[in-house]
Amino acid sequence: MAAMMWVEVLARDGEVRSRERIDSPEARIGRAFDNDVVVDDPHVAPHHLRIFRGEDGELVAEDLGTLNGLYAEHGAARTARLSLRGEPGLRIGRTIVRVHDGAHAVAAEKPLTPPRAHLRWDLVLSLGLFLLILLLNWLNLTTEPNANVVLVPMIGLAVALAAWTGLWAVLSRIFFGQAQFALHLRIAVTACIAIVLWDLLTETLSFSFAWRTIADHAALGAWAILGATCYAHLAAIGPRHLKLVVSVVLALVTSGAALQAVSRAESREAMGQRATLGDLRPPAFRAVPLATTDEFFREAADTRARVDRARTKEPPPGGPLGEID
Amino acid sequence: MRHLLLAASFAAGAAIAQPPPAAPEAPEVQQATLSSTAERVYDHAKPRIVQIRTLLQAAGRQSSLGSGFLVSDDGYAVTNYHVVSRFALDPRTYRLEYLAPDGAKGPLQLLAIDVAHDLAVVKMERGDLPFFQFDARALGSRLPKGERIYAMGNPLDLGFTIIEGTYNGLVDKSYDERIHFSGAINPGMSGGPVTGGDGRIVGVNVAKRLDGEQVGFLVPARYAAALVEQARKGPVLVVDKAREEVGRQLDAWQSSFYEALKAGGFRGASFGPYRGLESAAPWVTCWASTNADQLPRPRTAVNTTRCTSATGIFVSDRILTGRVDFSYSYYQAIDLNAFQFAKELSQRSGGPGIDPRGGKRLTAQECRDDFVATSEATRPPLRATWCMRAYREFEGLYDATLLVLTQDRDREALLAQLTMQGVSHANAVALGRRFIEAIEWRR
Repeated sequence: MAAMMWVEVLARDGEVRSRERIDSPEARIGRAFDNDVVVDDPHVAPHHLRIFRGEDGELVAEDLGTLNGLYAEHGAARTARLSLRGEPGLRIGRTIVRVHDGAHAVAAEKPLTPPRAHLRWDLVLSLGLFLLILLLNWLNLTTEPNANVVLVPMIGLAVALAAWTGLWAVLSRIFFGQAQFALHLRIAVTACIAIVLWDLLTETLSFSFAWRTIADHAALGAWAILGATCYAHLAAIGPRHLKLVVSVVLALVTSGAALQAVSRAESREAMGQRATLGDLRPPAFRAVPLATTDEFFREAADTRARVDRARTKEPPPGGPLGEID
Repeated sequence: MRHLLLAASFAAGAAIAQPPPAAPEAPEVQQATLSSTAERVYDHAKPRIVQIRTLLQAAGRQSSLGSGFLVSDDGYAVTNYHVVSRFALDPRTYRLEYLAPDGAKGPLQLLAIDVAHDLAVVKMERGDLPFFQFDARALGSRLPKGERIYAMGNPLDLGFTIIEGTYNGLVDKSYDERIHFSGAINPGMSGGPVTGGDGRIVGVNVAKRLDGEQVGFLVPARYAAALVEQARKGPVLVVDKAREEVGRQLDAWQSSFYEALKAGGFRGASFGPYRGLESAAPWVTCWASTNADQLPRPRTAVNTTRCTSATGIFVSDRILTGRVDFSYSYYQAIDLNAFQFAKELSQRSGGPGIDPRGGKRLTAQECRDDFVATSEATRPPLRATWCMRAYREFEGLYDATLLVLTQDRDREALLAQLTMQGVSHANAVALGRRFIEAIEWRR
């Protein structure tokens, strides 16, 4: 039993293409059909490699005098003999081969999620989202109730959720082999709830603390939620270069957020602030103490300072024609 | 309420330069018998009237047109400030030119301006033209209502024209003195003279009401006479400093206006269970509106009162300043809950909005929100927003808005707004403080 070894030939995408059990103490690998393991690679010699056990029982690969030689899996230096004790992989021609001792330790058993285990949780989340939207719609309803007002956004949301989830499921199917629709839907629904709650929270805080800046910058939080959502979707798909893909997606989200922030700041400078009270809540939501009129006008003098700054920041009036003289 | 009669704009001027050829003309119009007085007045006035053109310095083409009239034998002429405003504010971009009835053209010198009364005195380098006398009765405001008076000018660049109309005394409920002239005044006539039957100056064409028929306004002759006097005595306006002078006059105007507002007194006014402050000055008029008769039936009852001073000082194209508005809207939820009621009030402003966008002459608006309460028990807690924007060319002048919402009830509230245009910070804060401290709950 101890003499047993497994030879795996890997496909180009890293998946195991074939796996041979070798019971003899030595295995021969090459393109010829008298080998123990046959490799279909024109850059591999007919008799390329011999695997045997060294003095202390370790597996050793030996080049049989080939044109293209033998390399460690990630190595750059050609070698005639390669010990496979630490790293089971080697490269011949353009093919990766891995040799495992029968005694090679494997990872412990992963607990299995029974099918439909999350179903109840999914249902609760989805129902929660729709109830939340319904509740907010109702709280914001100032006209006569109307089926259209309630149903259209709901249907819109459902369609958007289905489209978003479908997209990730397709990607998942391509790269992972399984659509994982339920998992992606769960992520999307959670993201929706987070965004709705974030909106509600920032608007409420903006009222409670009488601080417009909170509502003005709420979009940054929404972008962060979008980034986290994309990360969750990607982690579920688990592509080979997860780190790279995640950094690309996060970079995209970050630049989107930055772009929006810049354009907002610019338009804010040109468009000014409207003389409205913003999104109001019932008076009980006030979280800051009442200012006296003195304090209010003292603080409000800050608007004067700001417009005075804006006044002097512009080029001197007179227009471009004034400069010709 | 737009009172300004703008000089024909560049685009309009171009459009009206070529009137449509197929203008309907009745072939056999009976020869209208023009009143012989008008004929006499016109003959007398014609050599004394000039067209005043603002030309683009670079292109040498007219950018706006108005009228003016000679008041001395050495070339002094009176017109409206708004006819020469482009030149006054941007002397490097524009220049002034007159066109005399005999076809002579020449440059004009700007000697004095009176922004508050919309007047300007210009001077041409010609001494050979006859000129107008001021009517002594008009200077003393002793003209009888109903007297025939004659407005002259160059409406829409169609040629010198005389319009017979009626003197209707000074406009009631107006802070700035204006003669109410019942007759047609049109763009291009701005700055033209209005005389009595004896050809003496009664007033200066300045504006018309767009929402009425034949409702024109004149600047009383005495302001024109005073400005001519001032121009004669000097110091002469330095063109490059004209902008500072406009700023100085606007500041002086607002300072006496807010004095007059204070002197006019304030009175409490009830809006449902709330009380607020209204100006008792005779020239502040109030209007009320309600949504009670709307269909479908509103879920919030809104009763609005808006008081306005209806003052309008022309500063430059599209900038009319000097108005103050007090607006109160009493909101009462009919079947809305507290959240829905708050939503209903969200994004609303109580009165006329000020465009928050920045531009060439005004900065973008900046606002500040807070919760405020005055110490007395009858004063409800308030949510307040204070917004300002500055006039770029006139240091120390602002448009200010104070928006206040009562926070003592879940399902009823008073939304109050004070809007002040062209005001100093000190005056704005003083009135704003008065406004905010007057809001109380009384039941």
